[in-house]
Amino acid sequence: MNSKGVNQWWAKATSKYSIYIVLIAMFIVCSVISPVFLSTKNITNISRQISITTIIAFGETLLIICGLIDLSAGSVLALSGVLSVAAYKMTGSMQIAMVVGVSVGVFCNAINGILVTKFKTPPFIATLAMQTAARGAALLYTDGQNIYQIGEYKALGQNSIGIIPIPVIFMIGTTLMTWYMLNHTKFGRHLYAVGGSEEAARASGVNNNKTKMTAYLINGLFVGVAGVLFMSRVNAGLPNGGIGAEFEAMTSAIIGGTSFSGGIGTAMGTLAGAFIMGFVNNIMNLLGVQSYMQQIVKGIIIALAVVYDIRSKTKRDKKKQGNINEKLVDSSNKAKEPGAL
Amino acid sequence: MKSMKKLMAVMMGSMLALSLTVGCGAEPKAGGTAETTTAAEETKPAEEAKPAEEAQKTYKIAYIARAQSDSFAAWLANAVKDEVAKNYKDVTVDVFDGESKNEVIASHIENAVTKQYDAILLQPYDSEAQVAPAMEAMDAGVQVVTVNNRINDNDRAGAIDADPVAQAAKNAELAFEQIPQNGKVVVLMGPAGNMHSDKRRIGWQQSFFDKRPDVKILDEQIANWNKDEAMRFMEDWIQTYGEIDAIISMNDNMAVGALEAAKAAGMTDILSYGVDGTAEACLAIQAGEMTSTTLQSAYALAEEAVKLTYKLMTGAGERETILVDCPLITKENAQEYIDLHKKAGNLK
Repeated sequence: MNSKGVNQWWAKATSKYSIYIVLIAMFIVCSVISPVFLSTKNITNISRQISITTIIAFGETLLIICGLIDLSAGSVLALSGVLSVAAYKMTGSMQIAMVVGVSVGVFCNAINGILVTKFKTPPFIATLAMQTAARGAALLYTDGQNIYQIGEYKALGQNSIGIIPIPVIFMIGTTLMTWYMLNHTKFGRHLYAVGGSEEAARASGVNNNKTKMTAYLINGLFVGVAGVLFMSRVNAGLPNGGIGAEFEAMTSAIIGGTSFSGGIGTAMGTLAGAFIMGFVNNIMNLLGVQSYMQQIVKGIIIALAVVYDIRSKTKRDKKKQGNINEKLVDSSNKAKEPGAL
Repeated sequence: MKSMKKLMAVMMGSMLALSLTVGCGAEPKAGGTAETTTAAEETKPAEEAKPAEEAQKTYKIAYIARAQSDSFAAWLANAVKDEVAKNYKDVTVDVFDGESKNEVIASHIENAVTKQYDAILLQPYDSEAQVAPAMEAMDAGVQVVTVNNRINDNDRAGAIDADPVAQAAKNAELAFEQIPQNGKVVVLMGPAGNMHSDKRRIGWQQSFFDKRPDVKILDEQIANWNKDEAMRFMEDWIQTYGEIDAIISMNDNMAVGALEAAKAAGMTDILSYGVDGTAEACLAIQAGEMTSTTLQSAYALAEEAVKLTYKLMTGAGERETILVDCPLITKENAQEYIDLHKKAGNLK
């Protein structure tokens, strides 16, 4: 490790940890201004409230890192949730319901992935098309009506193991999965490489299309799980559920430091971003902030996050000029490593 | 590359075509078959000869729904189709989806005029935005009747509506008796500026809050008619206030959502009031979880709306404004409305 390496590590560390500093500061402020904020019940509430959005946010994080996007998450969530509820009502088996929900999520995202990789459709348009189509399918299947009397389906979204609500366990699971993928797998390194520069990634032997496709499939898995959890939490099959969920998820990812310019983002950052949004929503309700005011405050937070994103991006771009060659060599070495073994 | 693009265009096109045929295929099945069977039944005993009937004019109604993705709007559209199919053999109705967008609704109105429909039955999305296109249609000689919501300045269009103030007031009168002295309540509102949400809130103000100054509103928030948003608010409120005596909601979805959170917190004796009479609310009321709601009956609205439209098209009547009744649903009569929903196919 030379001094350059140390500097790099230091720059990375400050930009990496600043989000946790914000999170801790918010946590302290919230605990001071509201006596109930710190109660165990309230903290579990917040965790449960953010869990579904966070699971989708991990999918978005993977995609955004890779320079992609998914605008269909909310609609696909509704479709997989509704079909999963229907499967449960038909079979009475939660396992089958879960499999159906996840399969629908993966299937829709396989189409997203094919449109993007095979047909070179811009991700924005491809997933926008899926957004409309999946919502339409959910409405068509249910005739626009909610599905009620779903019995024990609700257990998954409403019960707890010990004091930890089941959706939170899923959130922790997806957090670990995302963290592991991004930090310890070839796929994770490829995501960063493709998102950083497609040409450079291709030049260093990364299969860009395969990486993108895999990112969509994993996103589909997360969205499918989120759909099942969503319906089970609200104890109904809502074909209109999750409208705008993708934007809430993207907000969490972006606040957590994922950059729309691609190549940057972490699992823990997204989790922190989701908790920041959760704290903001929760504390405003605890304090009884008027609803129009709540929207303004949320808007300000999103704006601040974007400003932060742009600032860190410009800093990076300045450095990038000097680092790009090094990065290239670095990623190609890493890519070759497993093959060399 | 080029061939791939072409292939994709073909794929997209065929997908679109497929979705269209699926979408349209379902409609005539519901409306069309019923129509022909009733027509056959009625013509047989009738004395009039067949040629006479063929010479008879058929009237065309364009039904423009606020949004087919909204569960109440979808129910109303089906009710209108059923009503026409059942009772009006010389009328056909086509349903158009307004997609919750004023500009889409405006273009549906314009298209209906161009396609020479005899009448437009409109479920307005915005009371002001639909005035101009509706007036243009009427100037062009097309009858306009609004249902479920009204347009401002409506001295020329017929209107069928349920009175949102009365819908809320009926619940409020019950709450007046039920909510304990110095009770603490939370209020859930629909989207900001929504006519029904605001009017229902006025109903609650006049019939409850003005008369019960002892009751404290702990908090009042917009949950956009959504079950999951209401649930989130309620979870936070339970943390902050602990004791809550009643949930006062401007629709059933939000009431049931808040109730879901209350149940999870073990608050089983909480009072809760909604409006709409959805299938889910009726079930919750029957189970003793929810307190009351008022029914906004799509059947009643559809029946009156088609009747008035028919009168206007045939020149047999004048335009008028009719307010349909909104019955109160409590545990005693919940079963009746569950049956109604089952019949409507809202409960499977």
